[in-house]
Amino acid sequence: MQRLIFLCFLVSITTKAYAQDAKEILQHAIDLMYGKKTYSVITMTITKPTWSRTVSMKTWSIEPDYSIVYITEPARDKGSVTLKRKNEVWNWLPSVQKTIKIPPSMMLASWMGSDFTNDDLVRQSSIMNDYSHKLIGEDTIEGYRCYKIELLPKPEAGVVWGRIIIWISKKEYMQLKEEFYDEDGILVRTMTGSNPKMFDGHLLPSYSEMVPHNKPGNKTSFETKELDFDINISPEFFSIQNMGRVK
Amino acid sequence: MITTMKYYLTFAWRNLWRNKKRTLLSTTSVLFAVFFATAFRSTQSGQHDYFIQMSVSTYTGYLQVQGKGYWDERSFDFSIEQNDALISLLAHTPHVTLINPRLESVALISHELETRISPVIGIDPDSENEMSGLRKRLVEGSYLTDSSRGVMIAEGLAERLHVGIGDSIILYGQGYQGVTAAELLPVEGILRFPIPKMNNAMVYLPLAKAQSLFNAYNRVTGMVLMIDDMEKMKSIQSDLSARLDTNLVVMNWEEMSPEIVQVIQSDVAGELIIMFILYTVIGFGVFGTVMMMAIERTREFGLLIALGMKRARLLLITTIEAMLVSIIGALAGSVVAFPLLFYLNHNPIHLTGDAAKAMLAYGYEPILPVSIEPGVFLSQTIAVFLITIIVSIYPLLFIRKIQPVSALQGRGGVK
Repeated sequence: MQRLIFLCFLVSITTKAYAQDAKEILQHAIDLMYGKKTYSVITMTITKPTWSRTVSMKTWSIEPDYSIVYITEPARDKGSVTLKRKNEVWNWLPSVQKTIKIPPSMMLASWMGSDFTNDDLVRQSSIMNDYSHKLIGEDTIEGYRCYKIELLPKPEAGVVWGRIIIWISKKEYMQLKEEFYDEDGILVRTMTGSNPKMFDGHLLPSYSEMVPHNKPGNKTSFETKELDFDINISPEFFSIQNMGRVK
Repeated sequence: MITTMKYYLTFAWRNLWRNKKRTLLSTTSVLFAVFFATAFRSTQSGQHDYFIQMSVSTYTGYLQVQGKGYWDERSFDFSIEQNDALISLLAHTPHVTLINPRLESVALISHELETRISPVIGIDPDSENEMSGLRKRLVEGSYLTDSSRGVMIAEGLAERLHVGIGDSIILYGQGYQGVTAAELLPVEGILRFPIPKMNNAMVYLPLAKAQSLFNAYNRVTGMVLMIDDMEKMKSIQSDLSARLDTNLVVMNWEEMSPEIVQVIQSDVAGELIIMFILYTVIGFGVFGTVMMMAIERTREFGLLIALGMKRARLLLITTIEAMLVSIIGALAGSVVAFPLLFYLNHNPIHLTGDAAKAMLAYGYEPILPVSIEPGVFLSQTIAVFLITIIVSIYPLLFIRKIQPVSALQGRGGVK
């Protein structure tokens, strides 16, 4: 689930990197960000032109394939669970005590009313291999010197974005900003990370925000309250049976 | 003057009856022309009206009041408040015959291991039935009431989910302001739709139930309006738009179903070509009869002119004859066409095979409806009448040039 926060830090980890430096920087930042096995407490705020909503959740994940999100707030949705196993998304509905698999055609629907889709939850791993990347310069974001890395889709890759630019701080390897462009070169989404804090020995942005530029007045932000690395869980934890049991 | 005209009329009338066979032949050719043109036009126009009416009554209504932006986004964010002021304003709008509130969404419908995505529509059971005749679609169970706790689902969907009356389905979707909407709902009724797209998908529940399920208390996604005069649709639309709050919009069916407008437009273009061909065939058919008549009467015309009949008078009489034949033929054509079309209007032909498949693909019941709008008959009668008048110019030209000697000697009349 930690993945959702920086959902869009889509990174190519192919062995045949076109630019060794850029690949290494990204790999380092990704490792730092996602860890291997994580537990986190996150508050997501969805802002729409006419309303806003705050959802609090606990997440467990083994990157990149497994995650469970347990909703703690608001009261109406408390107990809802989203399970991601590889390319599948399942939901546990406490009010009817049932599990539903999200069908492929529903993958583009909004997740919990946010600007992210179900597809965003699972897609990341499938496009990790689909981009080539290149160091295109340096920049300063919020006082941090950053590498600026450009990701372009490989010709054969069936991906959503036409171009992605990622800013990674030179010293701490924090991903501080990403811009997502469509195939026509128009900026569609901007993600920014800020307010770095120490989590379990790592300095990471505690606040991040996604602004979809095609929907004025919309914004989804995340505040990480707690983040633990290398917790003791196994892939069996991410089972359909376990969805109704996590708390 | 009137007396003279009466004489000419009498002459023309007598001329017609002098050769009954010839008159009958000309009249019949006009009759068939009108008959075919009317039947063709009426089928086309009936089909278009049917498309419109089906789409309007089952889904969009003639007009809909919605939140600004709803139609493109289809999100509860653009739902509107169902308040008395709005309803009273709509109810007091002239020509509005029905106000049908709806709360529409899309949700996952699940039963055991099967899950489908379906349009879920919160309806006022009575006004929805009044608009689309939904109650007629019920094949099992009971029709919803305002206080029902369950849902009505389409037959095809019920089959796919393996549910019957009394079973419960899980409805899982997203409500107003992003809340989760999930509930176990008993199936109270099963509906059969002729259109596969609907028959495999639709889920209906009472409006109040939908509002609480989707956390959209007292909200609707659209107020569907039916009106009694389609001609006034656009004026009602602009009138309402001016009087409603600026965050509300009024859409008409043409804006909501542009694909139907396009189908009709492309159809009309094809229809014009066919009509042109039909009119050409009709024109030459009538022309043949008229020419035959003129040649047959060469001797008669020549004799009359030789006896001192003024050409102008002869022209007038022949024109009157042609007009009489046209009028009688055209009226008879309409009279013959009407009972047949009237019958087909009430008992439309059911299509089969590929034609039926094509219509089902468009989402329509495969029938061949015909229109019995007076306009169809009138326009075709007038069109054929005009064609007849135009082709009748030939004998007039002929009479002008006729040489009595040549005509009487049987040498063709003009040389």
